Amino acid sequence: MEQFLQQLLNGLAVGGIYALVALGYTMVYGVMKLINFAHGDIFTIGAYLGLTLLVSCNIAGMLGPVGALLAVFVMVALLTALVGYLLERVAYRPLRNAGRLSAVVSALGASIFFQNAVMLIYGARFYVYPDFLRPDFTVHLLGLNVPGVRLLVIGATVALMLALSAFIQRTRTGAAIRAVAIDPGAAQLMGINVDRVISLVFLIGPGLGGAAGLMVGIYYGQIDFTMGWSYGLKAFTAAILGGIGNIPGAMLGGLLLGVIEALAAGYVAMAWKDAIAFMVLILILIIRPTGILGERTAEKL
Amino acid sequence: MQIWSRCVAILFLSLLPLTAAAADVKVGLMCPLTGKWASEGQDMKNIVSLLVENTNAKGGIGGKTVTLVVEDDAGDPRTAALAAQKLASAGVLAVIGTYGSAVTEASQNILDEAELVQIGTGSTSVRLTEKGLQRFFRTCPRDDAQGRYAGAAIVNGGYKAVALLHDNSSYAKGLAEETRMVLDKAGVKVVFYDALTPGERDYTAILTKLKAAAPDLIFFTGYYPETGMLLRQKKEMGWNVPMMGGDASNHQDLVKIAGPEASSGYFFISPPLPQDMDTPEAKAFLEAFQNKYKTVPVSVWAVLAGDAYKAIEGALSAGAQTSDAMAAWLKQLKDMPGLSGTLGFDAKGDRVGEFYRVYSVNDKGEFVLQPR
Repeated sequence: MEQFLQQLLNGLAVGGIYALVALGYTMVYGVMKLINFAHGDIFTIGAYLGLTLLVSCNIAGMLGPVGALLAVFVMVALLTALVGYLLERVAYRPLRNAGRLSAVVSALGASIFFQNAVMLIYGARFYVYPDFLRPDFTVHLLGLNVPGVRLLVIGATVALMLALSAFIQRTRTGAAIRAVAIDPGAAQLMGINVDRVISLVFLIGPGLGGAAGLMVGIYYGQIDFTMGWSYGLKAFTAAILGGIGNIPGAMLGGLLLGVIEALAAGYVAMAWKDAIAFMVLILILIIRPTGILGERTAEKL
Repeated sequence: MQIWSRCVAILFLSLLPLTAAAADVKVGLMCPLTGKWASEGQDMKNIVSLLVENTNAKGGIGGKTVTLVVEDDAGDPRTAALAAQKLASAGVLAVIGTYGSAVTEASQNILDEAELVQIGTGSTSVRLTEKGLQRFFRTCPRDDAQGRYAGAAIVNGGYKAVALLHDNSSYAKGLAEETRMVLDKAGVKVVFYDALTPGERDYTAILTKLKAAAPDLIFFTGYYPETGMLLRQKKEMGWNVPMMGGDASNHQDLVKIAGPEASSGYFFISPPLPQDMDTPEAKAFLEAFQNKYKTVPVSVWAVLAGDAYKAIEGALSAGAQTSDAMAAWLKQLKDMPGLSGTLGFDAKGDRVGEFYRVYSVNDKGEFVLQPR
């Protein structure tokens, strides 16, 4: 039982990161029907920007550890949001009326560009986050020793996801995003500026992805220029698992994928962890081709 | 004016045959100067060219100057095949290199058909010397030799329940399997045997499962990035079981990733670096290296390229003029002092002699070579 709870918690921590990254895929897919393959690399950029801000700009020296964490968190989210915005302007907007395939190829190109740019700027070796920033306390919970940093990661992901849900469901701008996702043409006729909504989505998604990159850097310590690939792949899977284009689906899919992986590693075989996770994905897609929560639910705005 | 130009012409003419006569031993070096293993290749080139300079400064071999011909294989089998062909047509007598078993394998047949001696340096896959190639040697240990040494180290350490973990790469899996055979024979229980996925960040699920198996030692046979993450997350779990590794964890970044506290007490087996050795050869080499490059060699595989050159130099000094004579001389070589220990080869071309040592990490995160 203790081992089961421990594995569940392990899975939730990994799944939370998957979910945050998956939100970026799913939001972009929702409004543009485009898989933004460069999203995983924006996650990498977030991790590297966080390190640069912490080490080179000596923010920790000016604000103290807690203040520095918050400040860097906000700065990284803003900077990666800017990168996402520029990405949309340069790589996707000119292709808005071209076929879907052109946009996908452009996305793959952007991904290769970002990955190699990071390698050329920072080099191919591993980088390590400074240790003094990691909250160093342990919580005893249900007979388990839980590192405090892990609880903070889970807490931060949940908070970000709740904030996003509230924004999408409760505000006028959120309603506009939902409207564009359902029918861009009709939304435009209703007086919604579709270009602005898409720009907004490309600010929010990459911002969350960059924040996830920073959290991975702080939590796991080690970053390298290829890290976006494996996280991107898993998050993309999570988005499909939950129903791509569906925001609560991405959250559910991410957490579920993390837990499935942890339980598969714990109770079947570690070498088969990914195979089992993808098998579950295939089974779910056979039963529900649009993912667990469906691609989109009919709703009244 | 005329006298001047004549003098100059005579000078040039007299120099020409001299340079031609002096540069009559060519040795090839094939290494990854670009690509993902570029740092290994740069070190290989630095070390071998330093040794070649030393040879020439001492008057060459039998009055002949040694010229080093370097070709980049980019850590890629296709490029390696081209590099091997270039070296073969450059008229070298022997080729040193390269890093990576698959890359070395791509060059083996080309160099063998050109009847050249090849000494692999970072090519540990067992099958490379099992093909019956008469002119192929290697200064690096084979994967199964490491497995035997690792098994012996575990048995001598008195561990009773060992967890073996690899990363499904052919190197790490081979090492884990070899070790398991040794442990089974010695009656040490292997309580856990599985693989992780390399390149991930979170190994807590794996560690939780490992902990349930209650081993008294974890032997992870993979590379340093995953080793670092395992050590760090094991520490976070508050689990103090000792952990050991193979020679792929011999990299200073390991401590950077895990942090000095979590890596303290970790130990691994590896051929030693010259800065950790007290033999006169290693000391002299290290001093020359530091004088020239203002740093220390970081990769043991590059040092093994230096050993390969030492072996070739030995063969040339003993009068081996053809590649067959050189191969025959290398096969009878025993106990020659090299940079990483004693050099010698068996009939298959594998290195014999002692070179595996145990390193452990101290409280400050430094690698300390353990006494034998």
